Amino acid sequence: MAVIRDVIPAFELFQPASIEDAQSLLARYGPEGWVLAGGLDTFDWLADRIKRPTAVVDLGQIKGLSGVRVVDGGLEIGAMTTLTEVVQHPVVREKYRLLAEAAEAAASPQIRNQGTIGGNVSQDARCWYYRAGWPCYRAGGNICYADTPKGLNREHAILDADRCVAVNPSDTAPALIALDAKMVIRTPKEERVVDAEDYFIGPATDITRMTVLQPGDLLTAIRIPSTWAGAQFYFEKVRDRNVWDFALVNVASATKVSGSAIGDVRLVVNGVAAHPVRLKAVEAAVTGKPRNEATAELAGQLAVQGAQPLQHNGYKVPLMTNLVKRAIRGVAGEAA
Amino acid sequence: MNLIQWARSPWGERVPIHISWDLLWAAAIAGALFLIVHAIYVGYWAKPEAESPADSKAAAAAARVPERVARHSLGARLFHWVMAASMFALVLTAFLPKVGVKFSWVTIHWIAGVVLTISVLYHIIHATFWLDFWSIWPDKQDIEDASRRFNRAMGKPAPPPKKFGKYPLENKLFHLSVLFAGLAVIFTGIFMMYRVRTPFFTRNPYLFGDMTWGLMYVLHGLAGVGFVTLIMTHIYFAVRPEKVFLTKSMIFGWISRGKYLEHHDPERWPVGDAAPKARQSKAPEVVT
Amino acid sequence: MANNPTPMKHTLVGKNYTTPDLLAKVTGKAKYAEDYRADGMLFCKLLLSPYPHARVKHIDKRAALAMPGVKAIITVDDLPAPADSITDLGMVIKADLLGERGLTNEPVYQGEPILAVAAVDELTAAEAIEKIHVEYERLPFVIDPLDSLRPGGPNARVEGNVWMRNPPPPNAKPGPPPPLVRGILKWTEEDFAAAKEGQLPMGKATDEWMLGNVDAAMKGAALVLDETFVTPNVSHQCLETRSTMAYWQNGKVFVHTGTQSTFQTAPAIARWLGIDVKDVVFISEYTGGGFGSKITGGVSMIIPAILSKKTNAPVMMRISREEEHYIGRARPSLQGRMKVGFSKEGRVVAVDMFVICDNGPYEQMFDATAAGLIVSLAYQPPAMRWRGMTVLTNTVPRSAQSQPGGMQGITLMEPVLAKAARKLGIDQVAIRRINAPEGKAEFGAAMGGRRGHATSCFLKEALDNGAKLFKWDERKARSGKRNGSKVRGAGVAVSAFFGGSTGYDGLIIIKPDGRLSIQSGIGNHGTESVSDSHRVSAEILGIPWEKCDLTWGNTSKNLPFSCASGGSQTTHAMTRAAYAAGMDAKRKLQEVAAKALGGKPEQYDVAGERVFRKGGGAGMSLAQAAQRAIQFGGAYDGHELPKDINKATAAAATALAGQGLMGVGKDTYPHDGATFSYVASFAEVEVDLETGKYYILDFLASADAGTIVHPAAFGGQVLGRSMLGISHAIGQKWVYDQHYGAPLAKRFYNNKPPTILDAPANMQWAALDIPDPETPVGARGIGEPPVGGGCSAILNALTAAVGDEVIRRAPVTPDQILASLQAGKPVYAGLKADV
Repeated sequence: MAVIRDVIPAFELFQPASIEDAQSLLARYGPEGWVLAGGLDTFDWLADRIKRPTAVVDLGQIKGLSGVRVVDGGLEIGAMTTLTEVVQHPVVREKYRLLAEAAEAAASPQIRNQGTIGGNVSQDARCWYYRAGWPCYRAGGNICYADTPKGLNREHAILDADRCVAVNPSDTAPALIALDAKMVIRTPKEERVVDAEDYFIGPATDITRMTVLQPGDLLTAIRIPSTWAGAQFYFEKVRDRNVWDFALVNVASATKVSGSAIGDVRLVVNGVAAHPVRLKAVEAAVTGKPRNEATAELAGQLAVQGAQPLQHNGYKVPLMTNLVKRAIRGVAGEAA
Repeated sequence: MNLIQWARSPWGERVPIHISWDLLWAAAIAGALFLIVHAIYVGYWAKPEAESPADSKAAAAAARVPERVARHSLGARLFHWVMAASMFALVLTAFLPKVGVKFSWVTIHWIAGVVLTISVLYHIIHATFWLDFWSIWPDKQDIEDASRRFNRAMGKPAPPPKKFGKYPLENKLFHLSVLFAGLAVIFTGIFMMYRVRTPFFTRNPYLFGDMTWGLMYVLHGLAGVGFVTLIMTHIYFAVRPEKVFLTKSMIFGWISRGKYLEHHDPERWPVGDAAPKARQSKAPEVVT
Repeated sequence: MANNPTPMKHTLVGKNYTTPDLLAKVTGKAKYAEDYRADGMLFCKLLLSPYPHARVKHIDKRAALAMPGVKAIITVDDLPAPADSITDLGMVIKADLLGERGLTNEPVYQGEPILAVAAVDELTAAEAIEKIHVEYERLPFVIDPLDSLRPGGPNARVEGNVWMRNPPPPNAKPGPPPPLVRGILKWTEEDFAAAKEGQLPMGKATDEWMLGNVDAAMKGAALVLDETFVTPNVSHQCLETRSTMAYWQNGKVFVHTGTQSTFQTAPAIARWLGIDVKDVVFISEYTGGGFGSKITGGVSMIIPAILSKKTNAPVMMRISREEEHYIGRARPSLQGRMKVGFSKEGRVVAVDMFVICDNGPYEQMFDATAAGLIVSLAYQPPAMRWRGMTVLTNTVPRSAQSQPGGMQGITLMEPVLAKAARKLGIDQVAIRRINAPEGKAEFGAAMGGRRGHATSCFLKEALDNGAKLFKWDERKARSGKRNGSKVRGAGVAVSAFFGGSTGYDGLIIIKPDGRLSIQSGIGNHGTESVSDSHRVSAEILGIPWEKCDLTWGNTSKNLPFSCASGGSQTTHAMTRAAYAAGMDAKRKLQEVAAKALGGKPEQYDVAGERVFRKGGGAGMSLAQAAQRAIQFGGAYDGHELPKDINKATAAAATALAGQGLMGVGKDTYPHDGATFSYVASFAEVEVDLETGKYYILDFLASADAGTIVHPAAFGGQVLGRSMLGISHAIGQKWVYDQHYGAPLAKRFYNNKPPTILDAPANMQWAALDIPDPETPVGARGIGEPPVGGGCSAILNALTAAVGDEVIRRAPVTPDQILASLQAGKPVYAGLKADV
């Protein structure tokens, strides 16, 4: 039977007004159900007729899922808050500039008006083989087309690959991990809060999913504790185009300086593995060290230990090294 | 329920990608049913087998049987347990993720696969040149005895079956099944290592076409779930009271003279002086 | 030199104005093909080949046809057989039986349409396609031209792997060259082994020409560079896909779709459908971009027409972005090797050029040929050898794209020139200046003892003008200087391409209300030439633009013979035709006035919406003159027509006869040489050496394209086409999986056409506005040369920043820069295209 990658198949659209209704719908439809947030990830899948849910549950009508609230000195950002709202929120800009910069680096202005932060962190891999509907590991098959002798893998993983070499495409994810954000997940049974760092999973753990969300689970909010408010931040995203492009590599760091030394630091890189990579070894190595070129150099070298580049993505090793160096220095392009 | 999961190749062709994981449950249920049925059979239908008339010749033979009859050489036991360990590792790493226990399984799986492959190679060579090669294969007598036991269980008149040789028929059949399933997983598994990162091969997922690969995954999967059933039955037999002495022999290497005489036919399994020298293991078989 | 009449002082030409399509476009009222709806309209969807090359063995359509709402399914067997065609000059063009037909039973690229389904809606059509079973036989395929040239390499077509001419039989009389055919040509292992790493292998070429003694000139050169470079395959990616709606009424087919050329598309439809052109009504008022991909629409437009005939209902074929990627055309990549000899002063003394064109599976592209011609023109080598190959691949079909071949030739040559200037210690502007063509510059090989020559060229002046405006010397001073991890680079490039044709017709009528009706057969695809060109007629007649009514975009509305809007020939060709129509109307006004008011025609002048006696005296308004023209009849109101106009123009004029004073004429103005336009493009970039990411800080294109007809549109063309060139330099690309022969980058976020935020922060254009002496209005087309200039200026600015050993192919993305800097030598994925 022939394949056609065009025309969204018919589905039933639900716009529940509460999380409970949304979850009961998802429970009713099981694998036939689909959660719709901003739609930027969804409609590609649907228009290609690769994912064919019979029921689409649009979270857009659920009150309370959207908006940024100041809670306990920190922030709670509803999962359905658009990236534009995040970027423009005064508290985000003032105290958590790292997130504002990361969110502003995502996609394009039009997409940020529509795309949500929950969607940005929960989006699926953008590997072109996977997105073409080929039966790769991530699609439940038994092969990675990108990691073949002729595979085209310029944009793929150098770290933590396990059969699948796709990368996590999110820009806000590394920033949220650097800020030690907590993800609020509503499972059909309970509310569960997980560290942003643990929200993302690699192919070794589950090759078909990017996050810990199980079918029926919903990410409802992201909480940012006040721990890192006003710290020194560094975010940089390197991409081909100036806009509307996923990161080749991005880096996010939050640093607290004590005297001239690095007091405490969280450092996260994305675009290099199927999940954002928190560089704990680098964090440990640089803590207490002066914030200088030697420390940056050490951090850069340490960061890429164990990297396994593919045919076309060897550049990601020096790119990640250099971005980590900059994050430690705290400024772009000041190399001697 | 579909036996095989199909997908569209990049060229839109319908190709198998692996077995349906529902088969895992089917295999488990099959294993459970087997042991229930077998337990009931043994408990209610199986007729005690008549003692074969003790003649002087047999008594004389029995006298020559040592106190401890060597059954498994150290090499054979080591093989068994190495294989068992690798098999457990393989089955667990293969199927736990399929039932929802998520962990990084691929590396453990292929390393266990390599261990299994090496141990099986060792076993083939060892068994061919050092062990009583034919003792594990079902022979004419086994089939005749099986039919006699079945008829007797069904209440039909039949002469009593003979005692077993070195290995009971169940054991032989199990070995045969493991042999087929094992060779299937090993043969396909070696090629599948071309698809993951190992130190052994330059990765080449395009070694075969989509269809060949698909069938290979299906075969690997079928043999894999087959092992679930096989392992279940194997453990079942290992813990059955009347078989525990055999299980012990896989640990200590010997069975007692009593068990030997009770269950085995010295003609079919001559031991001690009667054992043909050529077929004796070079390992110390007789432990006193 | 100037054989042409010098036009009067301009009142409309050279001025900005509100184009007649503007309001509709900015308010969204403009109706593009996809916006049309008709009663009972069906929708069609295409079944595309999953294979890069295969043969259809069997199609089982039963389940699809049984679905409610499915009305018809057509395959190639339902299409008219390819037929020979006859040109206006009576030349018979033999049909290519292996040519593209819209549907096929032997798909030669992944995504080629196999069949089309018409159904009551698209959902039904798509579901029907999923119920169709097609059985294929796989055939060998090839994605990379070099793979096809290897011994034993696969052929993209069963019939061959290259376009070539079979050698003429021995003792054959001299005559036209034998026809181009698909033949088989393989190189030897030695040919491949002879190329060093990163060098293009050079085996036997299918085509070559020679000028002067290249070997001797190379020997005498102070510097010889031998550089390999690969230009990208780039899809046109018009924002309007080639959606088409068609229906039949009274034996005529009505087709709505986008095109670059309204008039010229109707005969193409007629030929593809096997019907008479008089039975074609073609409607295309607005087209969302063409760039060479829709010169006369595309053959796929006959699919809804055939379905419509079969179902007796209007059929809409909406083409998705993915389908557009497949059937929407692309520029062919050239793999080139340039051996160039320089004197110590920087003069190019010899060029030895070898190019391989990645042709795709169908009709031959002449990009390799054009690349050679343009290099010979733009750099004026006294000795040159050109060798070219056009290799068939199982990739999406190509077509011309702005500056076809010229863009690639410039992009192959420019980095060599930049490197030579650095090696010889010569300023980048200076080295281009001393090699620049001038005046009636010659180009190409000598054909029959004579080389071709340009109508005019002021490229040196354009370089000077650009260098001044761009503050070249200031930027040069900071080029290559490092600041932290950042380094700036300034680059300049020259570019040239054909800029016009001749011989078309103009048709206008001064109506009795004094308004001017202008009939335009030009396509409206965003260049504004559809109205710009005709302002010449209004200017000649002194009629304000507000009193002009333009009819365009519908071939049933009596449109004159107009050029195909490809290769930016329109402004040149159609200002000439408009000039002819305007002058014809002016002459008739003078005659009508003389007839009505006495005196001789030459005693009358036309200005200010009046025709009047020179030096004062009797006169009449144009409205009155139009009424008189109708009274006088004959030639004045179109009842008698010039003999030399095209029969289509004659038919249109006849239909319009009697409505007023008709100006109708064919462009017969003298024209010595071939018309080319030129630009000098300047760019400054800043590269981050730690990330490979770069930004374009500044860009300027300085043009020599004759008289500027419409400054805003001209500037739009210069900057827009520069941007197209820049897109080739910075990132627009293909990605083809070679194992499955499948394109992977089909979405915009993968194939990365530049966005407005990728445009240089500061982007300027300038033009000399020197009239071309070989055309009455002095205007040449500007749409082509900025592409090569834009691409090459960026590449040259990049090498100025990061050195010559970094870049070997375009587009240049951060990975290429970073990996090469890291390795200390160019790192890129070999000469394979589309990684």
